[in-house]
Amino acid sequence: MEASDRSDDFIPAGLASFGIEADEVELAMIGAVHQVFWGPIQGLLALDLGEIEPERNPDLSRAPR
Amino acid sequence: MSAALDLSLRDQAAAIAAGDVDAADLLEASLERIEQRNPAINAVVETFPERSREMLAAAPPGPLHGVPVVIKDEWPLPWRAERFGAAELMRPTAPGESGPYRALCDAGAVIVGVGNMHELGAGSTGNVSFYGPCRNPWDTERCPGGSSSGPASSVAARLVAGAVGADGLGSVRFPAAYCGLTGLKPTFGRSAMEGHHLAPVTDLIVSGPLCADAADCRLLGSVLFGEELAAGEASGLRIGVVRDPVSEDVTPEVREACEAAIEALRGETGGEVREVVLPDLEAATLAAILLINAEGLAGTTPERFNHLHPDLSPLARAVLKYRLLLPAPALVQAERLRTLMRRRLADLFEQVDAIAWPTVPAPAPPLDPAMVELPSGAHGADQANVRGAALANLTGIPSISFPVGLSSEGLPLALQLQAAWGRDELLLDAAEAFERASERRWVESKPPLAEAEPTGA
Repeated sequence: MEASDRSDDFIPAGLASFGIEADEVELAMIGAVHQVFWGPIQGLLALDLGEIEPERNPDLSRAPR
Repeated sequence: MSAALDLSLRDQAAAIAAGDVDAADLLEASLERIEQRNPAINAVVETFPERSREMLAAAPPGPLHGVPVVIKDEWPLPWRAERFGAAELMRPTAPGESGPYRALCDAGAVIVGVGNMHELGAGSTGNVSFYGPCRNPWDTERCPGGSSSGPASSVAARLVAGAVGADGLGSVRFPAAYCGLTGLKPTFGRSAMEGHHLAPVTDLIVSGPLCADAADCRLLGSVLFGEELAAGEASGLRIGVVRDPVSEDVTPEVREACEAAIEALRGETGGEVREVVLPDLEAATLAAILLINAEGLAGTTPERFNHLHPDLSPLARAVLKYRLLLPAPALVQAERLRTLMRRRLADLFEQVDAIAWPTVPAPAPPLDPAMVELPSGAHGADQANVRGAALANLTGIPSISFPVGLSSEGLPLALQLQAAWGRDELLLDAAEAFERASERRWVESKPPLAEAEPTGA
């Protein structure tokens, strides 16, 4: 299945699943936010990071161990 | 006495310690100047003269004894809960002591007012706030930068000589850049954070100083760090530059000023400039945005989002609700990328001492619309700005912004340096080296609003 950016489906359904109300103005604004983020999110997801083992409880005050 | 307000933070402290300036007079002068100049910039959203006088009366001897400062609306005070620039926060707040408040108290400083900030800390421009837009003293129709807009605008207008901000995705560095100041984003965990409403959950936000120059940032930073940030030399500074939109997709004036500054810094330190490779910066920016938005969900429930305050801006309401829809795989991927970027930086800082690129790609945009015109086209300032700042927050490294020129419209231009974990002192040393190289031209430049004639002796 191809990836979709159809925010007009995804956003109201997603919010409804949490029981969250949003009027048309809010939905339009959330859709605009989604349009800004969705492309970069897909880009992030496409990065091959499978070999990277995330630091456990990283100490961000220091270089990684 | 108002002339003393135009002294540096360190000179104010020294003058009070030497008995040349009376701290009580300085406090009254600061309050008076806020009355005079603040209406034009909306930098200070609340003063509390009696509380400030009480602080002064109780002030211990210390490195900032009797010196007035402003603190961002991100920190509680014993007599005032923070509002975060918003009609409401997603978690309850209450008056109380914060780490920065305690550090300032112990240093003898006097909090003279609370600085405006971008609503919920969620913007780089400072033009959206529950208190109304903060304005830039260099041009009051322009953005001051955010989210630490009020602290920066206060210092640029010389209401005070130092202010405490916070930086989660550039929120000290952006307003420093737009207002022609020096701003330090400390290494994660080095500066006081206790009492911040997100302190228990954040891996990205730090408190940081905003001052006219690096020596003042060193002084105020030492207070926030609880340790002296010793001055040293940035001799032989190895400066890394990257060929990436963060340094290339900038206005010609920004590019020229930053390239000239890097060359001046190289010359002053007897160092070298190397081109370095740092892939995936755009993805790293998004990773930081995702993670800080996820942090903001802590302690809230979906039900809470059905009762948002009607005075929250439409964009804030949208972003708050959108947070719930962030895909979990992207958050997992963001953590993995954070690890990768930290490892890459650790390797990179074996080759260079600092990475340099413009703090912001264009000078301060108009208040409305807050758009910038770049070689790649017109962009919202937030989207353009964040790509230069997020890496430091994602990985924990320190970063500094300092002024390196003025645009043809008379607006500040700024360079950002980033260094390895714990090398905050080196960044201050480097900024001071550039001040020497530029004969302090840019750190001593003042906006028209701050050039007004003193009203007293």
